[in-house]
Amino acid sequence: MNTYGLIAGLGSLLVIGLGFPLVIHGERIFGYVCWPYLMGLGILVMAASAAVSSSWVSMALGVVGATLVWGSTELKEQAVRAELGWFPFRKHKVKVPFADIIQRWKAPHL
Amino acid sequence: MNPIGLAAGLAAFLGIWLGHVAVRKIEASSPSLLLPATVIVFTGVLMEWAAMTARSTLVSAATGILGMTLLWDALELFRQERRVQRGHAPANPANPRHRRMLESDRSQATTCDLLKRDPLGRPTGPEEAIRAVER
Repeated sequence: MNTYGLIAGLGSLLVIGLGFPLVIHGERIFGYVCWPYLMGLGILVMAASAAVSSSWVSMALGVVGATLVWGSTELKEQAVRAELGWFPFRKHKVKVPFADIIQRWKAPHL
Repeated sequence: MNPIGLAAGLAAFLGIWLGHVAVRKIEASSPSLLLPATVIVFTGVLMEWAAMTARSTLVSAATGILGMTLLWDALELFRQERRVQRGHAPANPANPRHRRMLESDRSQATTCDLLKRDPLGRPTGPEEAIRAVER
């Protein structure tokens, strides 16, 4: 019996679950314009997973990377949720580099 | 190069994405949630069985992760129903279950998808929120 996939699945649920507070707090602190940074970090972590020889570490990095990329696509909708009062709204955001340029791009949403 | 991380990441991303879309579609169109939830649980368990019998670590990871996201999706069907009830997701008037919500005084259900817009950068009241979506 191979328990690798079962443990990978359970671990993924945990990691995906941690993605929720990451999106909520990320949006509250930095605003949705931090999405390219989160997406870039996710892609880097996923790429790093290919360079690791341990199948456990590689799998964990792959799932964490995918969750970060997914989180980056949720930030815009989260900003609207906060504006609607479904989550606490914080007017003052910490400005990320190139925020003005990013603001002109269309934020991804799936 | 180790392909396991990429396979696991892809399975997680596709699992979340497809689950996200499918849960909303199924909840909105199905008159009952019990049947689709049962089918999803069954498929999820089948995937976990495949993960446990797979010889390949890669196949085991992909099916294990997809199976678990499916099992979570079954739960999400009921959480989505609550979102519709609270007006956080749009109700489908053609669905009898949603129609009852729209007609009930105790439910805040609405056909308006309040999230379908760009952020404005300020808190929006109920009326402005609807105007912002219609724009």
